[in-house]
Amino acid sequence: MLGKLALAGIKNRRRDYLVLLAGLTMSAAIFYMFANLATNQAFLKANAAISSANVIFGFGAVLLILITVVYIMYANSFLLSMRQHDYGLFMMLGATRKRVGELVFLETLILGTLATAIGLVLGLLMSKFLVGFLLNMLGLHLSHLTAVYVPAIVATGVLYVGLFILASLFNLIKLTRTTVLKLLHSDELANQPKVKPLRQMVQGVLGIGLLAAGYWALADIKALQLLAIPIGLVTITLGTYLLFRATILMVIRALRHTGWAKKHLNGFLLGQLNFRVHNYTRMLTIVSLLFAMALGAITVGSGYHRQLPMMAEKIGTYTVAVHDKTAREQKLIDQLHIAHQATYTQKRQGKTVYYNASELTATPVELRAHSNSGNMNDQKLYTESLTKFKKSGISDLDFLSLALGKVGAYAPKILTAKQFAKQSGTVVMVTTVRVKNLQQDLPALKKLNKLETARFSQPGTMTVGNYQNYEMMLAFFGGLEFIGYFLGIAFLAMLASCLMFKILSGAPGDQRRYRMLYKVGVRQSLMRHGIAKEIGILFLIPGIMGVIDVLFGLQMFKPLMAAPMSPYLGIGSTFLIFIGLYAIYYLITLALYWRIVLPQAPND
Amino acid sequence: MTTNTVVSVSGLEKTYGKANERQYTALKGLNFTVDSGEFVGIMGASGSGKTTLLNMLSTLDTPTKGDVVVNGHDVTKMRGNQLADFRAQEVGFIFQDFNLLESLTAEENIGLPLALKGTPSKVMDQAIHEVAETLSIADLLQKYPAELSGGQKQRVAAARAIVHHPAILMGDEPTGALDSTSARELLDLLTTINEQQKMSVLLVTHDPFSASFCQRILFIKDGQIGSELRRGDQDRSTFYQGILNELGTFNE
Ligand SMILES: Nc1ncnc2c1ncn2[C@@H]1O[C@H](COP(=O)(O)OP(=O)(O)OP(=O)(O)O)[C@@H](O)[C@H]1O
Ligand SMILES: [Mg+2]
Repeated sequence: MLGKLALAGIKNRRRDYLVLLAGLTMSAAIFYMFANLATNQAFLKANAAISSANVIFGFGAVLLILITVVYIMYANSFLLSMRQHDYGLFMMLGATRKRVGELVFLETLILGTLATAIGLVLGLLMSKFLVGFLLNMLGLHLSHLTAVYVPAIVATGVLYVGLFILASLFNLIKLTRTTVLKLLHSDELANQPKVKPLRQMVQGVLGIGLLAAGYWALADIKALQLLAIPIGLVTITLGTYLLFRATILMVIRALRHTGWAKKHLNGFLLGQLNFRVHNYTRMLTIVSLLFAMALGAITVGSGYHRQLPMMAEKIGTYTVAVHDKTAREQKLIDQLHIAHQATYTQKRQGKTVYYNASELTATPVELRAHSNSGNMNDQKLYTESLTKFKKSGISDLDFLSLALGKVGAYAPKILTAKQFAKQSGTVVMVTTVRVKNLQQDLPALKKLNKLETARFSQPGTMTVGNYQNYEMMLAFFGGLEFIGYFLGIAFLAMLASCLMFKILSGAPGDQRRYRMLYKVGVRQSLMRHGIAKEIGILFLIPGIMGVIDVLFGLQMFKPLMAAPMSPYLGIGSTFLIFIGLYAIYYLITLALYWRIVLPQAPND
Repeated sequence: MTTNTVVSVSGLEKTYGKANERQYTALKGLNFTVDSGEFVGIMGASGSGKTTLLNMLSTLDTPTKGDVVVNGHDVTKMRGNQLADFRAQEVGFIFQDFNLLESLTAEENIGLPLALKGTPSKVMDQAIHEVAETLSIADLLQKYPAELSGGQKQRVAAARAIVHHPAILMGDEPTGALDSTSARELLDLLTTINEQQKMSVLLVTHDPFSASFCQRILFIKDGQIGSELRRGDQDRSTFYQGILNELGTFNE
C-alpha cells in the first residue's frame, strides 16, 4: 500500500524525476568516457605522447571522482527535497519509520542503478561517436581507442552504485532521524545567518591571502613542479570559500538597507539570497572551481589547437618544398596564400647536388636567425649574399633537406651559371613555398604533403618544411589538446548540473513563496524577472570567480606553451564560446524553475 | 451603482471542473452588496462555498457566470497584470495561514505592497511605522516570521493587508489558527481599523464569536445567500446569541 502511494508521488513529479535521471545519466556517461581514456592501457601505450600526460589523466580522474561525489550529493538533496514532504505525511499517517526508511532506501537505489545502467550505455555510444567526432574536428588520430573497455565499465559501475548506496543510507538516516513535523515543514524553516563583522573581516582577508598563495603556486610551477597543483587546489578552494562567506553576506546585508531594496521585488530577492547564501557558499565555491577547471582545460586545449601551426611556422624557413611539381601539385600551390616562393634547379651527380649561382642570387635562400632569448619570435628570416651563403647558409638544415634523402647523403655545391650549364646529372626542379598563415592553408598543404611523400618518401629521409614540423608536433601535443577539450566539456556539464540541481532543490519551497506573492498581487512579469535575477546571480558569482581563477591559473601552462605560444593568446573567443554554453545552462535552469515555481493564473 | 457601494455581486456562479469532467457547482447565482465602511461577515457550513466566494472577489479565481464589481472595477473583465495590480492595490488580505514570506523580516513583509507600487522609501517607512503602531507590533518589525507567535504573525499579516489603504480588507478565517486571546485581539483590531479608517471589511468565518464583531452577516447555503442578520444597535453578546439562534434554525 505504502509502495503504491510512493509510486503515485513519483508519478506526480515525473518531469522532475526525468530531469534528475537525465542529469545522473549524463554524469555516468561522461565518467565512463573518461575512465575509458584514462585506464585503457592499450590506448595509452599506443600514444606515447599522451602517456607523458598520464599524470594529467590521473589527476583528471581524481578530480572527476571528487566532482561526481559532490554531484551525487546535490542530486540526492534534490531528490530528498522533492520527497520529504510525502514521507513526512506517510509517517504522520502512521507508517513506521522502518517501513518509510526502506522505501527511501529502495527509491534512491533504484533511481541510481537505473541512471548508472543507462549512463553506461550512453557512455559507450558517446565514446564511439563523440570522441570520434572530437578527434576528427581537431584533425587528430589516436590509435587503439575502443568504445568498449571492460575495466572502465566496472570502475564506473562500482563507483556509481557505491555512491548511490551511500546516498540511500544517508537519506535513510536523515529521514528516520528528522521529526515528522520538520519533514512536513522542511522548506519553511528560516535559516538566518548571524553577521559578525570582525570575524568576517578576518575571513575575507584570509580568503584573499589564500587565493593569492594559490595563484602564486600555479604561476611558480617551474619551481614547485607537480606539487603546485595540489597546493593551488587546496588554497584556492579554501580561499574562495572564505571570500564568499565573508563578502556575499555582507553585500546582501548592505544592499538590504538601501532604498533600492525597497523597490518592487528587490527586497524579496535579497531576502531570498540572504536566506540561502549560507547553504550556497559551499556549492558556489565548488562550482567556481569546476568552472575554472572546465574553462581552463578548454582554453589550454584550444590554445594548442590554435597555436601549434603558429609555433611550427617559426621553426623552419619554408612551409613545403615540391620537387618536379606535377600539374596537380601546381594546382594546389595556386590555392595557397604565398608569402615567399623560390624555384631552384638541382643537378644530382653521385653524392653531390649542384645549384646554379645565378638562381641563388636572383632569389636568395631564406634563412632563420638564431636567438638566445628563447623567444621564437626573435628568430627572424633573413637572406645573405652569395659569398656569405657559400660559407654559412649552405649548411642550413632546411637547405640541405632540399636534396631529399638522408642528411649528408648529398653535399650541396654551388656553380657559376656557365659551369652549371656544363655540369651533367639528373635535373630536379625544386620549389619552396612559404605561406602567410599555416593555419589558413592547412587543407591544401595536407594534400600537397601527401602527394610529395607518396612520390619521394624513403625510409630515413629528413622531414622537409614547416608543414611536416606541424604534423610532428600535432602527434606530440595533440593528445594534450584532446584531453583539454574533453575535460573541459565534462567539467562544464557536471558543474552546470550541480548548480542546476542545487537551485532546483530550492524550488519546492519557492513554489509556496511565489504562490504567496501571487496572492498579494505581484505581477507575473515581476516574478519572472525576480527569478531570473536570483538564479542569474547564483550563476554569475561562480562564473566571475572562475574566470579570475583561469586568468591566474593559465600561468601554470607557461612552461608548456613557450613563446611564440602563450596560454593567453586568443583566449577571448574560447571564453566567449564557453560563456555561451554556460548561459545556455542558465536558461535551461531558469525555464525549469519558472515551470516549477510560477503560479498559474486562472485566466491564462 | 451608488458610490458608497464597495462590493457588488450579481448572479455569481462558479462551477468547478471542465466541461468534459465531473462538474460541481459551488455557487449558484449569488447576489449581495457591501457598502463602503461596512464590516460584513460571511458564514456557512463547511463546503458551502465561502472560500470560493472570496476567491472570486479577490480575483484569485474566475467566476463561471455573473458580475463582481469591487470599488468600481468589474473584476470579471480584468486580465493578467490588471488582476495582479488590482490585488496589490484595491484589496488587502488576511489568510488563515498568515501567508508571510519567511525570508523577509516583519518590516519587509509589511512593506511589500508599497514596494510593488514603487512607493518612495521614506513614505514607505512612515506608513509601515504608522500601521505598526496601530497594531502594536512596532517592536517586532526586525524579526523574521519564524521568530513570531501565531498571533503576532497574524497581526503582521493584518498590517501588510492595510498598509496601502485598500478599498476593502478581506479575511478567510483569519482567526482560524489563533488561540482565543489572540483571536479576540485581532478582531478588536479589525473593528478599530474599520471604525477609524472607515475601511470596509469582509470576513469569512464559521465561528459565531468572530462573526459577532460584524455589523451584518450573510449566511450561505447551497451556493446561495440563505439569510442575512443585522446587528443594528445590539451589543455584541446579544448579537452573538442571535447568531447562535440563526445558526440553529439555519442548519435544520
Ligand atoms: N478547486 C476545486 N475543484 C473542485 N471543487 C472544488 C474546488 N474548490 C472547492 N471545491 C468544492 O466547492 C465547494 C465549496 O468549497 P469552499 O472551499 O468554498 O468551501 P468553504 O465554504 O470555504 O468550506 P470551509 O468552511 O470548509 O473552508 C466544496 O464542495 C468543494 O469541494
Ligand atoms: Mg474555506
